[in-house]
Amino acid sequence: MKNVIINELKGFFRSRLFILLAVFFSFALVVTTYLGIIHNKNLIKSQQEAKEHVREQWDEMGPSNPHRAAHFGSYAFKETTILNSIDEGVNSVTGNVLRLEGHKQNDVMFSEASQSLMISKLGKLKPSLLFQFLIPLFLIFLSFNSYSKERESGRLKLILIQGVSLRNLIFSKIFSIWIIGFVLLFLTVLVQFVFNSSELNTDTFIRLILLVLSYGFYYLIIINLSVAVSLLFKNSTSALSLTIVVWFMWSVFFPKIIGNTIEAMHPLPTRVEFQDSMSEDRKKGIDGHNPLDEVKKELEEATLAKYNVKSLSELPINFSGILMQADEEYGNKVWDKHFGDLYSQLQLQKQKYQISGFLSPFSSLQNLSMGLSGTDMYHHLDFLNQGEKYRRGFIKALNEKYTLTRRADAEFFKSIEDFDYQVPFLITFLWKYILDFFALFFWLISSFLMLNFLTKKNKS
Amino acid sequence: MRFLNIFLYEFYHFRKNRSKVITYLIFVFACVYSIYNGFSLQHKQTDTILHIQKEQNDELKKVIDWFEQGISGPKDRNWVDIKQPHWAFRYIPSYTIKEPSLLLPLGIGQAEQYAYYKEISNWSSTFDPDMMEEISNPERLVNGSIDFSFLIIFLLPILLIILTYNISGLEKDLKFEKLIAIQSTSLSKWILFRFLFYVILLLLTVLFLIFSVFIINQFQSDFYNSISNLIILSASYILLFSLIFYLIIIFSNSSSSIAFKMISIWLLFCVILPGGIHQYASMKYPTNYMTDFLDVNRKESYDVFKLPVDQLYDKLVNIYPDLNNTKHGMDSVIDNGIIRNTISAIINEMNKDVISKIEDQNNSKNEFIKSTYWFNPISYFLNEWNAITSTDYDSYYNFRQNIQSDIDTKMKLLVFDCWNQKKVNKSVYENYLKQLDVNYK
Repeated sequence: MKNVIINELKGFFRSRLFILLAVFFSFALVVTTYLGIIHNKNLIKSQQEAKEHVREQWDEMGPSNPHRAAHFGSYAFKETTILNSIDEGVNSVTGNVLRLEGHKQNDVMFSEASQSLMISKLGKLKPSLLFQFLIPLFLIFLSFNSYSKERESGRLKLILIQGVSLRNLIFSKIFSIWIIGFVLLFLTVLVQFVFNSSELNTDTFIRLILLVLSYGFYYLIIINLSVAVSLLFKNSTSALSLTIVVWFMWSVFFPKIIGNTIEAMHPLPTRVEFQDSMSEDRKKGIDGHNPLDEVKKELEEATLAKYNVKSLSELPINFSGILMQADEEYGNKVWDKHFGDLYSQLQLQKQKYQISGFLSPFSSLQNLSMGLSGTDMYHHLDFLNQGEKYRRGFIKALNEKYTLTRRADAEFFKSIEDFDYQVPFLITFLWKYILDFFALFFWLISSFLMLNFLTKKNKS
Repeated sequence: MRFLNIFLYEFYHFRKNRSKVITYLIFVFACVYSIYNGFSLQHKQTDTILHIQKEQNDELKKVIDWFEQGISGPKDRNWVDIKQPHWAFRYIPSYTIKEPSLLLPLGIGQAEQYAYYKEISNWSSTFDPDMMEEISNPERLVNGSIDFSFLIIFLLPILLIILTYNISGLEKDLKFEKLIAIQSTSLSKWILFRFLFYVILLLLTVLFLIFSVFIINQFQSDFYNSISNLIILSASYILLFSLIFYLIIIFSNSSSSIAFKMISIWLLFCVILPGGIHQYASMKYPTNYMTDFLDVNRKESYDVFKLPVDQLYDKLVNIYPDLNNTKHGMDSVIDNGIIRNTISAIINEMNKDVISKIEDQNNSKNEFIKSTYWFNPISYFLNEWNAITSTDYDSYYNFRQNIQSDIDTKMKLLVFDCWNQKKVNKSVYENYLKQLDVNYK
């Protein structure tokens, strides 16, 4: 088997077209990975600058009213992960700035996709684009006639006479092509190590290994399928056309049609519906600026009783601060309910999309690629949750200060820590990707079983 | 006559080739599904707009009732006095709306990236948090929708490959080509007529689908031009790929070589070039974190609030010199209340300045994208298509301009009526609605 693999590889390197394409892909991968890293570093730098700028303004505030500071608010910038240079996932379509302020929870703003005309529908030329679209196609072209070519040229009989079993021949061909795909994957990892070595930690390293494994599995599935079709069809041309149709359906057509169908099955509310239902629930609570609110009276009575005084003016504290915080807490409950439902719906859609991996392994690969790069929807929702958690603590601190004094000193404002997004460890979300791994395994095993069956059939 | 026979024979060949027919039918089905998808989005947007207009109408009815009954505002807000212009303006629920284009079913474009309605308040700007796109699954947005324009621009060339890669390729594989050259006067013409059959088939299919949307929209004359532009654009696109593929067939010597070259061309034009330019544009014009805009809406606004009233007075007069001729403008004492109630006009000007810089930056990026069209035709066709269906960046830029114009109108009315110390009654309020183009039934 080893000899056949070496022979196959030698055969590839004898072809000028193969060398040309191999050089093209290697060069393209090195360049796109390198440019991706540079782009990423620039993004991280400008995010850092924006963050420092916002902080500087906060620190310059001087002695001020804490409630005014709550309206002044802050901003959370969505941080770019190192592996964003491989797969930027949802980052180009979601916003990257989250306004954090009192009384209301905002959504992320200013997506890159909304800042220019449309350029590409399949994404930027990042390693993920090459890994997901171009390299599989390259592997298809290497494997579509791997069996039929031998049969058509009459070499097959010669090889079999020499004592190599058909099964061994087929699997050797598969592994020799797979090695080429794997080398291309490895090249990207190598570039990451060379240019990102200072940023790589254990978590990123594990993410990279799993990313390479996922792509490795996918390539094996693609090659197996292509060789199986080559075993099935009498001529190479039919084999090629069928494999290309399958590749196109998997990687371009299905993701869109499945996404649309799932959204139709589990629709999301429109922004107006969503805001109306939130406002409706919010109205039932305390409005910090509304003196007629009934709930305010209850809170007022409870506070007067607590401090054993008869009127608000006798209170040793500022009642408005308590009122603001109570309103915030009610608002938080409303947010938890509505955004909780929305996020559940989004996760339900994601799970259904993951199930579609059993129909098209590309869906599983895409999920794993984004997930392992830390750029999928789960990571995005995690950023929103961390941002909201910070906002609650931030506003609570300001309201508590407002309860004690109407004017806080500059030191107090400086003591409030900045939002610092912690990219979750892979282990936090790993279980969410189990279905994707299962789907890839399912395809891998099925493709091997199919190959085994077709090899036996061809032998007889 | 001979060439007509070739043409008709190709139809017979196509009819008999099950895989080609199935592929073609899948394409047609996908197109129909995409048009249905587009109509769904169009209806969803229309329903949302109707919902907003209904809520707006209910709110307006409530305020007009207050005027009719001599009530100064909501019962639980006794400090509100709608006879004062600044309160009256707060109780005008006005919206700027971008109606979905009638051609939306033929191209969703960037419609899912932007908001299509905006509430105009005294503090509005065109980059407010409510200018967000509709709630959507971000991963679905990454993959995009099954959109008719996507199918024509990306899928149709693949269909053309499947339908034509073995024209003469098969004959060359089986070494029949000389026989054909003897039977028909010219091999290239024989290929051309066979090839033309598929080109015409695809052209007619696309025309039929575009016309079906035209028919569903009940032949509305306002988009005759758009429809004809779309037809010209799609026909040019099909012909561009047809020409390239025809040349590939002529100059290749086996079906696998033809398929390989055709797929490479598709990859180059549809994936590599747009992807590469996209990546380069992102590096050259990185994502804007809008810190200047954030500054205006935070620190600089607060700095304005802190300014003494005479400086605010001067700033307002600088924006609207005619304020000197108003009742308050001619008064010798500055009324702090009037100035504070019209301070939003200063913030609006600050927003406009910073937003124009942001729009300029975006424009530079767009100019760069346009400068690549000569070697990146796909982005050209995509953006032209989106422009025709009013779903491109420029359509939403125009929408933002309309929003700004509505904010400006509101600001001017507010400032002048506050400075003229006008008392608002039902007819003045209705006049506001008229000037702000707010429909009330």
